[in-house]
Amino acid sequence: MALLVLSSIILVTLDLQGSTATKSLRSIFGTVFRPVESVARVITRPATNAWFGITHYNDVTAENELLREKIAQQEGAAVAAAASVRLSQELLALNGLPTLAGINSVSAQVIGDSPSNFAQSVEIDQGTESGIKVGMPVLNAAGLVGKITQVFANRAVVMLITDPQYALSVKIINAPKTTVTTVPNPESTSAVTIVSVPETIDPQITVPTVPATSNIAGFTPGSIAAPRTPIISSSLTIPPGSNVSVRETGILEGRGAGRVPTVRFVDAAQRFGVVQPGSPIVTAGGSLSLAPPDIVVGTVSRVKERLGTAGPLLEIDIVADLSNLSFVRILLYQPITERTAP
Amino acid sequence: MSERLLQIMGSRWTRLVLVSLVLLGLQTTVLNDMRPFSVMIPVMLLFAVTAGTLYGSEIGAISGLIIGVMYDCVLSTPLGLASLVFGAAAYAAGLLPFFVREPTWWTRAITIGIVGAVGELAFPLAQSMVGFSGRFQAHVFVVVAFVVVVGMLVAPLLLPVCRWTLKESLVG
Repeated sequence: MALLVLSSIILVTLDLQGSTATKSLRSIFGTVFRPVESVARVITRPATNAWFGITHYNDVTAENELLREKIAQQEGAAVAAAASVRLSQELLALNGLPTLAGINSVSAQVIGDSPSNFAQSVEIDQGTESGIKVGMPVLNAAGLVGKITQVFANRAVVMLITDPQYALSVKIINAPKTTVTTVPNPESTSAVTIVSVPETIDPQITVPTVPATSNIAGFTPGSIAAPRTPIISSSLTIPPGSNVSVRETGILEGRGAGRVPTVRFVDAAQRFGVVQPGSPIVTAGGSLSLAPPDIVVGTVSRVKERLGTAGPLLEIDIVADLSNLSFVRILLYQPITERTAP
Repeated sequence: MSERLLQIMGSRWTRLVLVSLVLLGLQTTVLNDMRPFSVMIPVMLLFAVTAGTLYGSEIGAISGLIIGVMYDCVLSTPLGLASLVFGAAAYAAGLLPFFVREPTWWTRAITIGIVGAVGELAFPLAQSMVGFSGRFQAHVFVVVAFVVVVGMLVAPLLLPVCRWTLKESLVG
């Protein structure tokens, strides 16, 4: 027993130190085990298909109907969104700012899930030979999926964003401020609430110049005969960017299988007002972040207010469907701080 | 030379590696896809525990170590963690004769279920000890309850396989 404990502790220590011996052992074992796994997959595929047929049939048909409806809804929106993205990329390029379109990427197929009840990771069929390195962000068509945690010659392990070890700085993009107006209803006892009127600022605002008045107590402007000043209209132009959505940063953290990730460290006194459910979450980027800015992560599903200066805790609906990953894209991105001189 | 090679090929440990490789293939494919109640059947752990119940603590611990290292190689957790847990679980299962004078197949099945569940519970604990926090969640209790039941059900299949695998000699 002592020998077992000692051997295991030595192995754990070596692996945590990043020993090449343990890496080689994993690599060799992976090479030996891959054909066995492939054969097992082929042999057991009928059983797996039967299982999915029995357990997921109703879900799949219901999902199909829902997806058809969603596709119909989103077809129009996608065209408009594509045009906006294109415009945004052109603007960023024009100003010499980095865009996701300028980062090289590698497509990979998901070849396996983590065979564990606790870890949240998948294995892909591309590795160092394709230029993949540890830490690179992994996306699918919907948004961020995770990051590379282990790389071998032609395979790599992706830690999903739901893994409790996953953390990333993100931005919460809040919608323009809204106003809730309560108007008393004269015909009934209850007040009528006008829901969320968007506060938009007209670029051309006409500010009337009012007649000169006095704030001196007991002095009524009307008591003296002042010459009447004519009302002159002046035009004040406010830049149109003032009603653009503002952003707040936080740290996204996974919480394990079946639990949605959360965003912490959001400023308690957000300069953009209250975080609304449905606000988009994108990666924050920056010189220390492993992901470039503006990769879509998800939307705020719930805001948990906390006492003191802790700030709100945001629960996130991830846009990528992590339970059904087939193909992913690895951005060959490294932050400036990680890049080595050629 | 060839005699030595035959000796190695006929060794119980070679058989253990080969059988474990097949079981690992099943673990990473069909059992990984088929997850009743979102729980994967930890057949590798149950096999290690079966080795302990059949052949005692020492053989169980070594088997657990070997099976654990193989399992570690496909996990993203540090190498040696699963071997420690599997070895300890198999060692604990090997203590069965201290509690039951003449173990029968069903007492072994119960032991495999219970010790397997304890081993599965110990896995996130071991991960927490090396800095992988956040593994202990309410889902762990579902996993433990499921492994107890499945361990008992799968045990009648694992017992003969393990008995053949770790048999000292295939002849006689």
